[in-house]
Amino acid sequence: MQVKGIDQYWNPVLETLSPEKLRALQFKKFKRVVEWGYQNSKLYRRLYDEAGFHPQDLKTFADISKVPTLQKEDYRTAQAKDPYPYGDSLCVPLERITEYHQTSGTTGQPVYQPDTWQDWEWWSESWAYILWAQGFRNTDRVFIPFGYNVFVAYWAGHYACEKVGCEVVPGGILNTEERLLKIKELKATAIMATPTYVLSMAAACRNKLGMEAGEDLNVQRILCAGEPGASVPATKKRMEDAWKAKVYDHVGATEIGGWSFECSAQKGLHINEAFFLVELVDLETGEPIEETGKPGKIIITALDREAQPCIRFDSKDVSMWGPPCECGRTFRLLDGGIHGRVDHITKVKGVLFSPVSVEEVVRSLPQLGDEYELIVSKKGDTDIITLKVELLPEAGTPEEVEPELSRQLRLKTNLAYKIEFHPFGSLPRYEIKAKRFKDLRKEH
Amino acid sequence: MITAEVDLKEMDTIILEIKGKVKQLREMSGGMQCVDRNCERILASLKMLELNICDVIEFLD
Repeated sequence: MQVKGIDQYWNPVLETLSPEKLRALQFKKFKRVVEWGYQNSKLYRRLYDEAGFHPQDLKTFADISKVPTLQKEDYRTAQAKDPYPYGDSLCVPLERITEYHQTSGTTGQPVYQPDTWQDWEWWSESWAYILWAQGFRNTDRVFIPFGYNVFVAYWAGHYACEKVGCEVVPGGILNTEERLLKIKELKATAIMATPTYVLSMAAACRNKLGMEAGEDLNVQRILCAGEPGASVPATKKRMEDAWKAKVYDHVGATEIGGWSFECSAQKGLHINEAFFLVELVDLETGEPIEETGKPGKIIITALDREAQPCIRFDSKDVSMWGPPCECGRTFRLLDGGIHGRVDHITKVKGVLFSPVSVEEVVRSLPQLGDEYELIVSKKGDTDIITLKVELLPEAGTPEEVEPELSRQLRLKTNLAYKIEFHPFGSLPRYEIKAKRFKDLRKEH
Repeated sequence: MITAEVDLKEMDTIILEIKGKVKQLREMSGGMQCVDRNCERILASLKMLELNICDVIEFLD
């Protein structure tokens, strides 16, 4: 058959398959992984038996919504059993596990993630789709400023770079200045990091090394993951301006895999629908959402994992469907990337509030530094949101900046804030995921 | 945009043939780890070819 876009897509057949055929492929693979989980994992067998569901009940695509969803807590409970440390979630003999990673434990006990070598090949394969779409080629020298450790983060990116043919430079144990100097010395053409660290590196380049990342380094593309920043327009602009490079978002998770990516058109997050099934459901009713522009919660299935399958996992991430992309991929787009997490979206003063909306405002004001903190507390019966920001040196006084900041925050979030200005460089800096939002009301 | 004539059905056949051969190799290893472990790796790579090519064949015109 004639295959178009050999140079443009990692897999031009799958990435341009018609939506009807993609759904048929997904359904075939979904049935296969559900059967695999049910036959080989006590976790899934118990979950499905208790719900009165059997894999043979899957007759049509619409039946997928009958399959019970999996919560992170289900993994934790299952992993408390033998064989240690994966317990009932394991689908293969322990001897077949070759990779260990774990979640960060932000929301409780970390989830352990076992992978066979086949799973690990699958990780790098799904990341290869991402890298190719973002222009990574065998002419790239990719520097990875990541503390290679128990978190999967850029491990998979590293292996995928090798698969795509890039030359990979592991920037593990170096500090930020040493990493920047190595990027300069090797004329690295690409890096991978969280948006927070991309901005922090640019600041360190200027303030500690007396160089400009965009002028003195040769980085042309940056892959971001771990935080939603690369899909927040003001944050993406800050990064692209500082590095004079294209910045691309990618969203993945340890339990799920590298399931979405921004392509070179930068119009939203494509879902790799050949490897993952994403369902968007109404935040209150749980009903499937098919129309564009309506926010919903993401339920996701990794269609090909074997050691610890991830089937209808409740990611708690919120997004919405977008229009088709101009790049020619039929993989659907999530408009605006990840908008927040269900467990972070909360009512403040009776108004629905998503912390990520504040980032767009902070990063759009040139007088403010990259860092900020948000704290929601309670005084009597009244909710108070405190926003801590840094004023850049010689950027004016707090009295000059505060009116515009307050105005934009109210426009964006419909809320009033207590704003604190802190000296530049005094708020915490992060290398991996930043922890900028605290809801102290939940601690009482 | 580059277009090429690709015989996906033939590719599917070859992938499955190689898979069969690698399994055969592993079965005749007598437990030699240098054979078994490398076959395991080849099979994992072949699985990626199956996901990319073999799985979709039935849906193509």
